[in-house]
Amino acid sequence: MRISLSWLATYVPLPPAEELARRLTDVGLEVEAVERVGAALDGVVAARILSSERHPGAEKLSVCQVEAGQGAVQVVCGATNWKVGDVVPLATPGTRMPAGHRIDRASLRGVDSHGMLCSARELGLSEDAAGLLILPADAVPGTPLARVLGIEDVVLEVNVTPNRADALSHLGIAREVAAATGAAMAYPESGLKQQAPAASSCLRVSIEAPDRCFRYAARVVEGVRIGPSPAWLAGRLEACGVRSISNVVDATNFVLLERGQPLHAFDLDKVAGAEIVVRMARVGEKMVTLDGVERTLSPDDLVIADRDRASALAGVMGGGDSEISAGTTRVLLESAWFEPTGVRRTARRHGFHTEASHRFERGVDPEGVVPALDRCAALIAELSGGTVRRGAVDVHPHRRKPLDVELPWARAGQVLGMPVSRKEARTALLALGFELRATGAKNGKFRVPSWRLDVTREEDLIEEIVRLRGYDAIPETLPAFLSDTPAQPHGALVTERARQALEGAGFSEAVNFSFVAPEDLRPLAPGGGPTGIPIRNPISADLAVMRSSLVPSLLKVLAYNRRQRVEDVRLYEIASTYHPREAGAQDDAPAREDLRLAGVATGRRHPVGWSAGGEPVDFHDLKGALEALLESLGIEGVRFVAGGATFLHPRSAATLEWTSPGGSAVALGVAGEVHPRVAAAFDLPRGVFAFDLSFPALVEAARLVRGHAGVPRFPAVLRDLAVVVANEVESRAVLEGVRAEPLVEDVTLFDVYKGAPIPEGKKNLAMAIRYRAADRTLTDSEADAAHGRIVERLKGELEAELRG
Amino acid sequence: MDLVRDLEALAEGARQSIASAPDDRALEELRVRFLGKKGELSAVLRGMGQLTPEERPRVGEVANRVRDEVESLLVRARQRIADDRLEKELQGSRIDVTLPGRRLLPRGHRHPVTRTTEEIVAIFARLGYEVASGTEIELDWYNFEALNIPADHPARDMQDTFYVDEAALGRVGGEGAVLLRTHTSPIQIRAMKRAGAPPVRVVAPGRVYRSDYDQTHTPMFHQVEGICVGPGITFADLKGTLAAFARAFFGAGTRTRVRPSYFPFVEPGAEVDVSCTICAGVGNRAGARCGTCKGTGWLEVLGSGMVHPKVLENVGFDPSAVTGFAFGMGVERMAMLKYGIADLRLFYENDLRFLEQF
Repeated sequence: MRISLSWLATYVPLPPAEELARRLTDVGLEVEAVERVGAALDGVVAARILSSERHPGAEKLSVCQVEAGQGAVQVVCGATNWKVGDVVPLATPGTRMPAGHRIDRASLRGVDSHGMLCSARELGLSEDAAGLLILPADAVPGTPLARVLGIEDVVLEVNVTPNRADALSHLGIAREVAAATGAAMAYPESGLKQQAPAASSCLRVSIEAPDRCFRYAARVVEGVRIGPSPAWLAGRLEACGVRSISNVVDATNFVLLERGQPLHAFDLDKVAGAEIVVRMARVGEKMVTLDGVERTLSPDDLVIADRDRASALAGVMGGGDSEISAGTTRVLLESAWFEPTGVRRTARRHGFHTEASHRFERGVDPEGVVPALDRCAALIAELSGGTVRRGAVDVHPHRRKPLDVELPWARAGQVLGMPVSRKEARTALLALGFELRATGAKNGKFRVPSWRLDVTREEDLIEEIVRLRGYDAIPETLPAFLSDTPAQPHGALVTERARQALEGAGFSEAVNFSFVAPEDLRPLAPGGGPTGIPIRNPISADLAVMRSSLVPSLLKVLAYNRRQRVEDVRLYEIASTYHPREAGAQDDAPAREDLRLAGVATGRRHPVGWSAGGEPVDFHDLKGALEALLESLGIEGVRFVAGGATFLHPRSAATLEWTSPGGSAVALGVAGEVHPRVAAAFDLPRGVFAFDLSFPALVEAARLVRGHAGVPRFPAVLRDLAVVVANEVESRAVLEGVRAEPLVEDVTLFDVYKGAPIPEGKKNLAMAIRYRAADRTLTDSEADAAHGRIVERLKGELEAELRG
Repeated sequence: MDLVRDLEALAEGARQSIASAPDDRALEELRVRFLGKKGELSAVLRGMGQLTPEERPRVGEVANRVRDEVESLLVRARQRIADDRLEKELQGSRIDVTLPGRRLLPRGHRHPVTRTTEEIVAIFARLGYEVASGTEIELDWYNFEALNIPADHPARDMQDTFYVDEAALGRVGGEGAVLLRTHTSPIQIRAMKRAGAPPVRVVAPGRVYRSDYDQTHTPMFHQVEGICVGPGITFADLKGTLAAFARAFFGAGTRTRVRPSYFPFVEPGAEVDVSCTICAGVGNRAGARCGTCKGTGWLEVLGSGMVHPKVLENVGFDPSAVTGFAFGMGVERMAMLKYGIADLRLFYENDLRFLEQF
């Protein structure tokens, strides 16, 4: 909210602006900006035109001698609406004009000009560009223009938190200033003069929805002449960012900004039946609001109606039908207290956020309704020449009981962690308008001021005390209790190891939005499966569903990087995917969230260097990275089984299967080349590889602390073996056949070869086998026998042929 | 004794030729020439057959001495040649030490949001906090109601909320709205309910969602929130904890300032500022106003306060017996301040050239 200091100063003495800003921030009213109104006019001063003559080289220009406080200076001027002796604005050299350019000493067609005489438009003051802005003749030359115009002011931008409805006005801020500085407040008088006949003789008010309207008070002002507001009023409003409209409307806005009470003025002659009914809208009822939009109302909307129809959305916005217009002479002025949550529902339903709804939602001062009405009626009468009818029509079905809150004297100290004396507590609360109703040895009972609807319990009183005293006074301590330092959870350790392993394998971490476009998920669900969980109010169509897979986001990031000409990319992400939960789930989480570890790789296997590199990444690079990951997590015996998922190439993908100690097969996830059609859908070429693993499955399988087997004490025997098998035979079958021999300690596949002289349709696998016995030195003949058994097994099971 | 003379001549020839042999190959030729099966020594010894039995031992003795000498000459010559070669290499041309090192794979990099989260969490872990996590699709009750933010309350404006299509989750109406959590506070509610009784000390990092997308907001961002509830926990403890955190995270010289603010789930509520990380709290750099703290010398980084008694009641704790404090911070903001990242968009573009800098 914008607070004008020249306005605020009429209620309470103020310290300098910067200090005031600090004090307000310290009591919880954060000042976000201190703005000098009129700063745009810095450098512009009043100047009297002493003499003038025609420019020797330009018919339309004059050469003027002006007095601007420091002797005569010469200025060239093109306007003609002035005479010698007038006082006009002079932009002195160095002035930055509102349009952005700088005024410098210049030579205009050979004549020196020390500045520029300005029009109102050039100064950004109005649209009037007809000639120089003529200032009052008594303005002293050299005076800054802002001071001459009386618009010199400082405006504070105060961030008022939603609990502080009481601070949404100049009087509210003044109360806080007074409490913080100890200065005395000066409340403005209403100055109300009333005349018979009584308002009640020409206006009836009834409330049909007392749970939504606790009080409705109205006055009638007659003989009103609608016209522009005086400069002081327009200036006040403009400083606060409110446009001046007319004297009557401006008066309501002035009182709103002064007291925080929204008011509404109706043209009484347009109120059918001279009757106000505060009621719920009828089903299907329509009304045109002040913004010219016809709205269909909800039965939950509270309206201010006349005999025939709704003429305002209560507490939110008025209606066009009863609007104050140039011909209005009789004004019905409304001041009311509407129930906050109802106002909020109506405002949101119709997409409004008005000065009125903002305040009613937060709760205006119930005791301020009538004083604001009186103040505004008096102001309208003063500004428009009208007279106020005697009395207010005040319907008050819901009387508020004042609230008393008990404060145990010791409690503030216990919560704050510093001593707070009874006197300190009392002084702070009294300064803020609380009344001490009773005081005992243990407790004090305080009456909450009517404008502080947010204060309801002892903790609220404690906050009041400490914010006035200043949070700086509270010491810094650390909680005094023993920590039993729980062990790092297994899941956290697995996460850290997994990250390290992948980063070691060259994968960088991506963090993507959890929401994607439904189309992003579609290539992954070619059968028309589910495409994410929709957001009801997405911020854009690209971010409309909660993703059911991490892969599309990663593919999009790959594509993005490729567009930036970054082509060797390996990325991983650990994040949740979102799914409808299964029936019968135990907890009350509304959705199932599966943590996944996914990654993508494309580009070159190694960076191109001066000695090697440049081959493209392939499936086995990805597999190697995953093997390194599994090894770092201590997960053993994972089988890569051909066939992955629909988003992967059907012939170039695998499922990772792990057998739990209990013997059940667990699918950890899939890895492979991204299906060429999926890649194309993401504007990616061939040669993109991806994996997608279940993180909880990895956590379950991980063995971070393993036993060890010592080191072998007896020598090994090494033998190579080369066999030819059909292409379809998986290498794993061959290797498993080798490992089935008990004396085999390890086998390394070091070559796979197809082509002459190997027959068509076959391949040669060359292996290095290490034989070892744990308890003795193996003899050559034992090793030869084992080797022979392997050859026989491979021949028998896989139709392998031995190669020399 | 011709044979003895021949042997001496052989030895003398070997001495000279071995001394001048230039390389290993020449040495090997000399070894074959003198000591080989068909070499000179063998040829001489073949003449032994004609010797008298008395002469044989003497000639044999000379022959052995000559063989030993030639063999040791060869060994020394090999050593000499190896030494010469090494010396030559040591004095010879240098390798190009400026050629780039050979790397199989550049290391991968951790995202700055994750790094920053880990740094924050590690500090609180050292202070004895446990790490908790929770679901991102949440029930209205955990995200708002339990935190003293009832429906139709203006405080809901502080957090523009994304709502989830309940039908897609198989829910029927009337079970309470389902939303994307707007803060990680629901984790704390669940943690307190799970614990059943104080003390509870947890930090809750995670993704959060608010419907706001511009220069300074992304619709998804990250928070770390924490809560410390137990008997006798005070506002002074809150100040001390967060001051300790700020020093650990931003550096030992960091100052903190606590001022009143409002969050519905705390009372009293506080905003915590730290001295500007760029201008060290001075407000200007080299005479110009500091753009990071806008000249104030302070940066707003944490929201906090004493846990509202209604929140304690909502999880079944007795507010007259226990108190607690809560705090929360935005990870992206912390990362921006710590690493000097000026543009929020960088976090979610995942441009490798950005990620590689961490």
